[in-house]
Amino acid sequence: MFSVILYGRNDSHGYNLHKRAAISFNALAEVMSDPDDEILFVDYNTPDDHPTFPEAIHDTLTDKAKQVMRILRVRPDQHAHLRPKTHLVALEAQSRNVALRRSNPRNRWILYTNTDMLLVPRNEQESLSDILGGLADGFYQVPRFEIPEMLWEAAFDRRDPAGNLAKLRDWAVRFHLNQVVHNYMPMKYDALGDFQAALREDMFAIHGFDESMILGWHCDSNLAARLALYRGRVDTLIDKVFGYHCDHTRVAAANNKGRATRMNDQDKFIWNVVSPYVPAQAEAWGWPEVEIEELRLDRDTAYQRFTAGLAKTIQPATVPFITTSLEWQLYEDLTYDLAHTLPFVCDQVVTFPRSTAIMIVASRADFVSGFAEAWKGMGFTGPLLVPLECEGLPSDLEGVERAPFAQQLAKADMFIFEFGLATQTVSEPVRAGRAMAPIDKKRLKVIERLFKRAVATEAETRPPARRVARRFIGVNVIYNKFWTVFTDYVGANINPFCSQVLAGLPREDDSMKGKVLRFRGRHAL
Amino acid sequence: MSAVAELKPAGAEQHYRDGLLKMRSGDVDGALKEFDKALARLPGLADAVVARAELLDGLGQVEAARAEYERARRLWSEMPVGAPDRRYLFRRRGHFAFEIEAYDLVRSNVRNKVLPQLAHGNALLVRGKAKEALDSYERALRVKPDRPELLALKGEALSALGRFEEAIQAFDTVLSAFPADGETLNARGIARMALGKLAEANGDWRRQLDLLPQAQSAARACVAMRQGNYEAAFHSFGLSLAKEPANVYWLLYRLTAGRLTGAPPDPIAIPADRQWPAPLLAFHAGQATEDDVLAQADTPCRRTEALFQLGVVALAGNPATARRHWEKLVESGAPALIEYAAARNELARLGS
Repeated sequence: MFSVILYGRNDSHGYNLHKRAAISFNALAEVMSDPDDEILFVDYNTPDDHPTFPEAIHDTLTDKAKQVMRILRVRPDQHAHLRPKTHLVALEAQSRNVALRRSNPRNRWILYTNTDMLLVPRNEQESLSDILGGLADGFYQVPRFEIPEMLWEAAFDRRDPAGNLAKLRDWAVRFHLNQVVHNYMPMKYDALGDFQAALREDMFAIHGFDESMILGWHCDSNLAARLALYRGRVDTLIDKVFGYHCDHTRVAAANNKGRATRMNDQDKFIWNVVSPYVPAQAEAWGWPEVEIEELRLDRDTAYQRFTAGLAKTIQPATVPFITTSLEWQLYEDLTYDLAHTLPFVCDQVVTFPRSTAIMIVASRADFVSGFAEAWKGMGFTGPLLVPLECEGLPSDLEGVERAPFAQQLAKADMFIFEFGLATQTVSEPVRAGRAMAPIDKKRLKVIERLFKRAVATEAETRPPARRVARRFIGVNVIYNKFWTVFTDYVGANINPFCSQVLAGLPREDDSMKGKVLRFRGRHAL
Repeated sequence: MSAVAELKPAGAEQHYRDGLLKMRSGDVDGALKEFDKALARLPGLADAVVARAELLDGLGQVEAARAEYERARRLWSEMPVGAPDRRYLFRRRGHFAFEIEAYDLVRSNVRNKVLPQLAHGNALLVRGKAKEALDSYERALRVKPDRPELLALKGEALSALGRFEEAIQAFDTVLSAFPADGETLNARGIARMALGKLAEANGDWRRQLDLLPQAQSAARACVAMRQGNYEAAFHSFGLSLAKEPANVYWLLYRLTAGRLTGAPPDPIAIPADRQWPAPLLAFHAGQATEDDVLAQADTPCRRTEALFQLGVVALAGNPATARRHWEKLVESGAPALIEYAAARNELARLGS
């Protein structure tokens, strides 16, 4: 019957976002009763190494919310062409249009709202699906009522949507929450964007949201203006459903700077609208040609993929614990425990697109074969690019492509540089003062040289269609001789030694030191 | 199908406006009385019904309010709607009494802006107040003289006023900026047809048909019907009917197109409620006479529709009778109606 369209990203937009959003997702799912109903959440521009926002809070969502939610992930690289034009990190019009394009065509209605809304049918026996199913064609809005921050934060149980809706019915009366704030036409109400129900067919006819609105605010009013023109009327659903907003102004959100807030031009996008249509984007709205990843919370989750991948390559531990050490005298000892390290490496990659091509520059053959198994098990389809310059590594693994480093550089979406000892055996103790063999030194020298070249030339060797910097993962680069090498070039956080792994983007260091490092790296000095 | 809404009982809208003013000033009882008076004069004024519902709801009379909300929705849904090949503003249902009032308020407060003027104009135009609509559009054009979208609306108002030459000039300018603007092609076709420029009108509609996506079968069917392209209309009305089986007009028009192309007739299912345009289907089925049909054609639009169908049924056996019906139609019918264009094309085919 209807597709709810929401957007956001895995950040901290406003006060206690996680609770607000969980309350809202669960409450929206609670009022759905048609098998075609869906919540489309566009996760816009979350960093690639983070899970999407709903994945980050999945444990607070009800089974029903997980079942009806489809997450459409817009990657930073897909947003990059818009980055110079806006101060915002998440764009409403683009997000909502990406979802609209991909919404269930069997659904008659599209409902635009936000991740802090609860919709309460006035007749407890009716679902929102029932309500929308009984409506004539049109464009419907409801007034927004506010819930004081204290109430939703203190009294709502995020996994009890039915209880929360019952509380709202009580609070509405007890605390006089229901105040209708009228507004000029075509807006009709204040805060109109928290409930705008339009026919899917109408939204396609008017070319979706206006994607030139990239400075934030007024997207809802623009939509109201255009749909009011198109439909002639803005109808109310106040008799059927009340909409409550979890107020979150205790802490200003990133797009709220008081009177200094930058926003889309009201005159242009509201008062001087001349047509329902946006012909300039008639073919392109919602990015129909762009492949947008879709994720689910009820199947094929990141955790399931992670465990499936690692199950292919490591066996459960047979001892209560293993030991290592970060004592300084072991600075030159590059042994590490592979079975312990692989989960941390997989953790670095599991949120990336499955089509990612990853370059592996390594010394340990068992690392490459172990990771290759995990990669495949996690459902990745992109190749593992292993430069021919790295000797002693397996060539016959499924998905592994061997070619000269220079050829592979422009194909890679991500890099792993592993600084281990080719001669380390499975049974030997870790960080016990082991010296390098000549062959270890020789291979590590190659890895270091390739690392410096890759990172120093990253910007100019990117795949042609790629617009954002590629991520570098360093394996076994904490508290050993490659720590400074790695962090001279890569802007990695300080990680615990136990994780064995650092990761980040190439440093943008314009100091003399940075320039020298880049020069040396470029020429592999 | 309606060219414009046709109910104009005197005084109802004035009472409605007075009610809104009282509502805004907090005089709930006074507002309710005004809405009651409006509804006594025009029981179908859904805008007054829903305003009344909101007041009752706010007073806590929830059950009474609920029934009124539903009544308003039912009234709106029963209102005639314009043909889907026309500009967006003609394709919607309503009296737009609220919109006329509301946008008038906006334009007096948000000055020198386009939207309040054009939304006001649109509401007026659909209500049949083309002269006032023209004034609104001209005010909008004073703010943004270079916007073809506004000029197109001005053209619509001119066309509704019968100032077809001026309308065509406006549409020409719009089309020189936006050659693929299907809605303006449709509008220019209507104005050209009104002036008897059949070939040019049909040319505009052919171009519009080329531009319309296959998925918009109803719009395609209607614009094909205007041109007298009954094969295309028959096919597209079939598709439209599959999407909207309850749309009696699609049934009627498909039947009409089929009859004019000589397609084998389908059994005619006449809706049980016998609401317009069911009498036209009954006439096709031989279950109603010409007099029955004309007696039920109680508005100018319905009369135009009736005359067209009388001609269609008569054509095979008595072309002279068909000609007589269609000539009468062309004398009095609104050029924006599909039947007007189809009748003119049929008359041309019959020859002088």
